[in-house]
Amino acid sequence: MNKTIALIKREYLLQVKSKGFIIGTLLLPLFILFVSFVPAFLANMEVEKKANIAVIDTTGKIYTPLSVALQESRKDKQGNSLYNVEQVTWSGDSLGIKKEELNARVQNGELFAYIEVTDSVFIKNSFAVYSKNITNFDFYSRVERLMSDAVKAIRMNESGLDPELVNKLSQWVKVQTFQVDEKGASEASGMAAYGLSYVMVFILYFALIMYGAYVMQGVIEDKSSRVMEVILSSVKPYQLMAGKIIGIGATGLTQFFIWILSTVLVTTFGLVIAQQFAPGISELAIPSLSIWTYLAFIAYFLLGFFLYATLYAGLGSMVNSSSEAQSVQWPVMMLIVVAFLLMFAIIKTPDSTLAVVLSLIPFFTPLLMFMRIMLNAVPLYQVILSIIITLLTIGASIWVSGKIFRVGILMYGKRPTLPELLKWIKY
Amino acid sequence: MAILKLKQISKAYEEVHAVKELSFSVDKGQIFGLLGPNGAGKTTTIRMIMDIIKPDSGTIEIAGKLNSGQQRDKIGYLPEERGLYKKMKVIDTITFFGEIKSKPARQTQAAAVQWLEKLELLEWRDKKVEELSKGMQQKLQFICTIIHNPELIILDEPFSGLDPVNTNLLKDVMLDLKNTGATIIFSTHLMEQVEKLCENICLINKGASILQGSLKEIKKGFGSNRIRMQYEGAAEFLKDQSLVAQYDDYGQYVEIKPADNVSPQQLLKYAIDRVNVLEFKVSEPSLNEIFIKAVKN
Repeated sequence: MNKTIALIKREYLLQVKSKGFIIGTLLLPLFILFVSFVPAFLANMEVEKKANIAVIDTTGKIYTPLSVALQESRKDKQGNSLYNVEQVTWSGDSLGIKKEELNARVQNGELFAYIEVTDSVFIKNSFAVYSKNITNFDFYSRVERLMSDAVKAIRMNESGLDPELVNKLSQWVKVQTFQVDEKGASEASGMAAYGLSYVMVFILYFALIMYGAYVMQGVIEDKSSRVMEVILSSVKPYQLMAGKIIGIGATGLTQFFIWILSTVLVTTFGLVIAQQFAPGISELAIPSLSIWTYLAFIAYFLLGFFLYATLYAGLGSMVNSSSEAQSVQWPVMMLIVVAFLLMFAIIKTPDSTLAVVLSLIPFFTPLLMFMRIMLNAVPLYQVILSIIITLLTIGASIWVSGKIFRVGILMYGKRPTLPELLKWIKY
Repeated sequence: MAILKLKQISKAYEEVHAVKELSFSVDKGQIFGLLGPNGAGKTTTIRMIMDIIKPDSGTIEIAGKLNSGQQRDKIGYLPEERGLYKKMKVIDTITFFGEIKSKPARQTQAAAVQWLEKLELLEWRDKKVEELSKGMQQKLQFICTIIHNPELIILDEPFSGLDPVNTNLLKDVMLDLKNTGATIIFSTHLMEQVEKLCENICLINKGASILQGSLKEIKKGFGSNRIRMQYEGAAEFLKDQSLVAQYDDYGQYVEIKPADNVSPQQLLKYAIDRVNVLEFKVSEPSLNEIFIKAVKN
């Protein structure tokens, strides 16, 4: 037992001290900080900027409603409008000269943009905006919307309709989503649940592939550095395999704990801290998750990791180099990739029979059952069943891989054929 | 008292019979030579002693008890194929190898430093293994082999890759260990080293023992003595088959194998009467010769 602990300790410290681990572990919290604070800060900063806008109105009807609507549409915290709207006046044929002047003012930054609206707005449904920046979609869609409203109101008036009544009658209706679980119904956003379950399953998927590959890599390295023989003169093969798998699994857990801790810190205290710097922020981009989600994540990571890592350890023991490993690891890789692809097939119907059956297949369970749990469509018995089936499969996988491992780690040279492998397992 | 006893052990792989009914025993407190040509079955034998692989039949006793996981904590093994964890620190490597022999790191820390000092590696204690030269890694692996104070030490080609200075250093360490009561099994091709260090040997070929016992006895029993003679004059008598079984003339001297019933004394008397003898020396057959002869037969 002490020997296994020594092996675990060695593996764990080696991994945790590696540059790859440190960078990989810090990258995600930084990313979370970035996506939660930066958009809020940017939005906050943009609020302060004032913009001058000029309007050339040859119809004589649009300027008044448009300027009011524009000024109303964006205000700072004190209630002052952030748009300064001015009407362009001209006499006779001097419009051409006036436009030259306006172009010059846009050039030197005095004007953000000027709008030219003529009778064609009623005939061809179009008007023109001149600006240095033509990619500010926020601004253009706002102007487009306000102009449409103004044009619509004028048309309605001219047709003898009451614009307010029409607005009231043509109001859009909105959907409100409720999620039903054991505790009853609670209001929740479907989009947020989708987005989050995607992200979490993505992380789980990459973690399984990455840490599985680490195990295989570790076995191959020990084999090619020939350290295996000395180690095996002191410990049993199963102790070596356990040391490797548990050590690397613990590395993965460490990484997740750091990630979860930083996420929890950001979602709990982040808003308060952010508000110190930018009082305008009212919410962060990252929604907070329940402790059950984190627990399920850890549980299904461990199940998936032990399942795949034992297979990877067996594979690693069969080959002599990483390049050789590429050609034998695809069956295991395929299992993970297929599970990942199946996720897209069942994410819309997580409680269908297909989804239930697929998520109970042990090699798919870690990804699919976890995703279903995230979408909250899983009865408890299915969760327990999935855990039991996966645990049994892990047992079988340890048995088979252990047999292969025991023989494989001392074999150098030719890669074993399938009949040879079967002999190793029986031996 | 025998610290290691192999009784009739056999191991067969698919195509080869690696070890065939091999028996030998090693007494406590000596340096024992396990010799044999490449592919003779030395590594397979050592692996069975280390319980890395199991013999198909036969028994192995260590310190009077059948081989088991516990017993092998008493053995230190330096395999011919060296290997250490490249990214580990030197000092951590030593304590780690102690730990997998059931010695907690805190118990081996002090000894590790002493050994590093003895083998001139102390300034490297906090460096990574991959920064060490090959010879230094070799010495480090030797420390890892003995850090847990094993009663039995198995060294497979311990001198390969070492320069003469380090070879000497390691040889002295081996003798020190022997003098403090450890038993060393020394597996090598270098017969010179065996002649210097070992009292008893076992020579195996094709998986079976072909020669074993005390080195002195083996040499005595291994055919006639050789005579090296330097002389002036015409030594016609060398061609006399009743006196000389065989001779090789090297110009400066001749090497003579006397006929079966002729002693060196008789030959010397005979020679003095006929030529001017400058040098006459009786020498034992070298282990090298014995090795080649035994393996060829």
